[in-house]
Amino acid sequence: MAEVSFHSEIKSLTLGKGEVFRGEGILGVTKALLQSGVAYVGGYQGAPVSHLLDVLVQSEDLLSELGVHLETCTNEAAAAAMLGASINYPLRGAVTWKSIVGTNVAADALSNLASAGVIGGALIVVGEDYGEGASVIQERTHAFALKSSLWLLDPRPELPAIVHMVEKGFELSEASNTPVMLELRIRACHVYGSFEAKDNVAAKFSTNHRIPVPATFEYDRLSHPPATFAQEKHKTEQRLPQAQKFILENKLNEVLGPESGDVGIIVQGGLFNVLNGRLALAGLSDSFGNVKVPTLVLNVTYPLVPEQIAKFCAGKRSVLIVEEGNPEFIEQSVGQILRKADLNTKIFGKDVLPLAGEYTPLVIARGLTKFFEANGSTLPTLGEWIEQTDAHQKEVASALGSPLPPRPPTFCTGCPERPVFSAMKLLKKEMGPVHVAADIGCHAFGTFAPFSQGNSILGYGMSLASAAAVSGTQKKRPVSIMGDGGFWHNGLLTGVAGATFNKTDSVLIVMNNGYSSATGLQDIPSSAPEQDGRGNGLEIETTLKSLGVSWVKRQRTYGVKGMMDALRDALTSKEQGLKVVIADGECQLARQRRVKPAFAKLKNEGKRVERTRFWIDPDVCTGDHSCIRLSGCPSLTIKPNEDPLRPDPIAHVNNDCVGCGLCGEVAHAAQLCPSFAEIKVIENPNVFDRLRHRIASALIRLMGGNRAAPMPAPAE
Amino acid sequence: MADPRPVRVLIAALGGEGGGVLASWITNAAVAAGHVAQRTSIPGVAQRTGATTYYLEILTALANDAKPVLALNPAPGEVDVMLSSELLETTRAVQAGSITPTRTHLIASTHRVFTVDEKSAMADGRVDPARMQEVLRKFSKSAVLADLAATARDAGSHLNAVMLGALSGIKVLPIAADFFRAAIRAEGKAVDSNLRGFEAGYALAVGGTQPQADTKAMAQAPHADNELDALAISLLPREAAEIAIEGIRRLTNYQDQRYASLYLDRLERFAKNKNASAELLRELARLLAVRMSFEDTIRVAQLKIREGRIERLRREAGVEGEALIRVSEFMKPGPEEIFSMLPPKLARRTLAWIERRGWSERSVKMRVSTTGFFGFLRLRLLAGLRWWRLHTLRYEEEKVWTERWLDLTERALSQSPEAAKAVVASAALVKGYGETMKRGLKNWSLLADFVIEPFLEGKLPRDHFADAVTQGRIAALKDPDGKPLGALIEALRALPRPQQIAAE
Repeated sequence: MAEVSFHSEIKSLTLGKGEVFRGEGILGVTKALLQSGVAYVGGYQGAPVSHLLDVLVQSEDLLSELGVHLETCTNEAAAAAMLGASINYPLRGAVTWKSIVGTNVAADALSNLASAGVIGGALIVVGEDYGEGASVIQERTHAFALKSSLWLLDPRPELPAIVHMVEKGFELSEASNTPVMLELRIRACHVYGSFEAKDNVAAKFSTNHRIPVPATFEYDRLSHPPATFAQEKHKTEQRLPQAQKFILENKLNEVLGPESGDVGIIVQGGLFNVLNGRLALAGLSDSFGNVKVPTLVLNVTYPLVPEQIAKFCAGKRSVLIVEEGNPEFIEQSVGQILRKADLNTKIFGKDVLPLAGEYTPLVIARGLTKFFEANGSTLPTLGEWIEQTDAHQKEVASALGSPLPPRPPTFCTGCPERPVFSAMKLLKKEMGPVHVAADIGCHAFGTFAPFSQGNSILGYGMSLASAAAVSGTQKKRPVSIMGDGGFWHNGLLTGVAGATFNKTDSVLIVMNNGYSSATGLQDIPSSAPEQDGRGNGLEIETTLKSLGVSWVKRQRTYGVKGMMDALRDALTSKEQGLKVVIADGECQLARQRRVKPAFAKLKNEGKRVERTRFWIDPDVCTGDHSCIRLSGCPSLTIKPNEDPLRPDPIAHVNNDCVGCGLCGEVAHAAQLCPSFAEIKVIENPNVFDRLRHRIASALIRLMGGNRAAPMPAPAE
Repeated sequence: MADPRPVRVLIAALGGEGGGVLASWITNAAVAAGHVAQRTSIPGVAQRTGATTYYLEILTALANDAKPVLALNPAPGEVDVMLSSELLETTRAVQAGSITPTRTHLIASTHRVFTVDEKSAMADGRVDPARMQEVLRKFSKSAVLADLAATARDAGSHLNAVMLGALSGIKVLPIAADFFRAAIRAEGKAVDSNLRGFEAGYALAVGGTQPQADTKAMAQAPHADNELDALAISLLPREAAEIAIEGIRRLTNYQDQRYASLYLDRLERFAKNKNASAELLRELARLLAVRMSFEDTIRVAQLKIREGRIERLRREAGVEGEALIRVSEFMKPGPEEIFSMLPPKLARRTLAWIERRGWSERSVKMRVSTTGFFGFLRLRLLAGLRWWRLHTLRYEEEKVWTERWLDLTERALSQSPEAAKAVVASAALVKGYGETMKRGLKNWSLLADFVIEPFLEGKLPRDHFADAVTQGRIAALKDPDGKPLGALIEALRALPRPQQIAAE
């Protein structure tokens, strides 16, 4: 079950007409889906839209009451394909994923879906993982909308606007027989706000009211020649004009500010708030968005409506297009529209704003200043602010002297994946470097210090496939790393089946931690079935064997030496073909969430419980930190040395230690230093424990030890 | 009517610190107080220890249902209140312009969560905290700077509750304290402890924080406990004598009084040298004591059974009440560590034989329980071998090394006192066990052979001497693979030889 619990939030999904809904953007989307009468939902987790799926999974009761079918898809392609239900049936459906990567995976199904077109509203909620906080390659979802004729919504980042666009998105989809994408940037997904709720709507056909007869055979609904030729025509001749008509009639785009003006601004809806903030600073707007420059807010960024653009630009000397990312699709389109309308309005965009990167307030302010200067006016307050900001940065840099060290994310305390990288680092010392094909997932943290391993990342579950040609052209076998999430998402087919088929001589490590951990501990097919989980307990090992992998070793990750042995075997074995090491170790976040309360409960009940943790002897540690270079565990840190003779900080295990044992393993495997000690803490010791302790202590005292260590007072 | 300006609050936290809960308390309190509040966050991969930010905008009660357009990004120079849980991240926020002198009221904890770069440095890689605090004070409008994590611990609460209390205490937001308390109650989790933390934070902000007083006690005149101490005081300047007395205590415990007096003899040689500054003598006294108490297996056994260790361990590991502990020590001595305990000749022969058999990399994996009788006994017996130490190969090797280091220092003193200081400091490279020790020795020997000696012999220009040795030490500590040191040595080779300069 997912990491975050939404139990209190889920209550707000049942709010009715007129009540005020408060919550995060992504939760607002969920409510809007229910208000729109969806019949089915699904998707694949990934920031920033993981919570959408988590909320849906956790509100299964509500969904079944409304008759909504829920599918936790194995990847985005499955989610996109699921929208196929809306091709033949009047069912409204919504799916979600992280973009651009999810859209890439979904691309095949999306093209086919878009070609056939839909009769039931189909909505794809994509989390545009772009700019600060993003974890993927920086590309625009916009390109997919263009090439497949999917409509793209980019609402202003506030709840009422987002909810409105979800509802209108379904109508638009149905009015133009086209799937619609709703794009939300990271901050918009997490924005907390409120809107006036409506009643939830149960779909006409649903899990509660099933469709009695399957659709009749209609060849034209297949994305198959010759229907595809007609569909392409239909897209451009029917669906596009229908969509443009709907957009105009329903005023999905907003024209703000004075009717006319010398200059104007065209902005993506999602960027309006940043723009408004800077315009307000320049005295051209206020805190309520009352802009004093004519502004066209594109809540629909594809398709554009040429008449709307032309009308907005007519009579203006220049317009500024505020469009994040590249290529500048909107700018190109507007240029074409104006040219065809024979309008002479000058276009500013990527000449005054950067082609790449997030449009932060500072970036937009610089663009605005240049735009207004080019058009003969100045924005003194904004210019002053930019100067101050630049001056501040210089001043701080000189006050600091040297740059601050970065803080890359890292494996959690006690993470089962860390020891695998410790083993690989030790093995590198022993056998020399090997090509490491990294993958997407928590294990990608192995690319950061102190491990710094990995030669390429080609996508989720792609590591093994990405090493195919490397293994064929290199003396040493490459090592590919894949999580169990990536394995089920894609790696099983593109990687494993491909490697066995091609008899690739390669090594694969599958991190079997039991969840899709990086995205928030969602269940995957191999997750253990639990009370509230959706896991199915599928076995990775059996799956591998059934695909013809004969060399499979399972190794508990915390045993560093065992892991080194397994990897050494895999790298040096005479056996050709794919060799897989399954690295077993449950995600420690999930484990601690289960174990900690259980331990506390037993302890409070007075039951005997043992826990383990590590400790570093401050007198024995010499402050070289080799242990940290092989671990990087957050709980293995440093502290000042109290010894006046040795000023270097010494290693120190803080109280977050979960006793995973890696410290000791590494100290042994690397023959590091004798300062590590494992402490077994026995709470509520029993009679036998006490007796044993008493005898040992007495004997030790006899030998002259522990004089200052009296026996803890026994319980009465 | 003037355009109402929202109050802008930025929270910087590390994953798992409760920044999200803090943000929601503030939002809920603001809404309850009748304001319009919006917040958003950049969690990124935050659930995993990375840095996270939460941004809030609050507009005071608005007339006739006006719908404000609030920002989702903090703009540089426009943040009114910054709450930040960790010193380095707070400093980073200053750099980003989220804390500025004209506007930002800062509430920040001064505790550190070290970055991997800082932790994994081979010596001391920590960013100077005093400098960071100075920057924070200089670039904020007002600052509540204190170890709020400690305040939270003392109050038996969480950091986020303390920060909420401090936020309420500085009274910058238009929200009365009771709205914050109500938000904590409404959330319904760990209410009592969170309220305790809130009050502690509130009191701290209201009472104000003083810049932390210098905790170092006023230096007292060194005190002699025995004849050796007295001798040290008579021989050395005060700042060096302090350290030497600590060294004498260390080495008496390590070996015996005679050994400690050898230490003093070695120091005396330098105390009489006119070129040796007090600063040099202090560092020499320190490093000589550290090197002379080298960590052989006997020493490790001594340390592992010393008095009071178990209490310290219980205290540091947070073991409370009547819980019992069992301690197992991880030890893995290799052939060198074991057989260097033999007399030099025999030890060399044995080690050579082991080398021929290819067993040098082998080692004995041991887990010794110091809370069990037999484990204790083993270490007790090993520690009891201390009388034998001066007859071992390890001792002989250490002696040779120490003499060489002292000799180089003495020769350097006659040429350049600054360089001599750098030669003294180079001893810090030699430390640790097993691999670490070998690497340190190797680096030090490279430094001695290819940097220090050539300078002493006049093969390299003397004005580079001190700097080259210091750079060499830093380079050796930069990277465990030793590449930077190699590069430095190469660069030195390219320097014109003094004769060449003279010839030109």
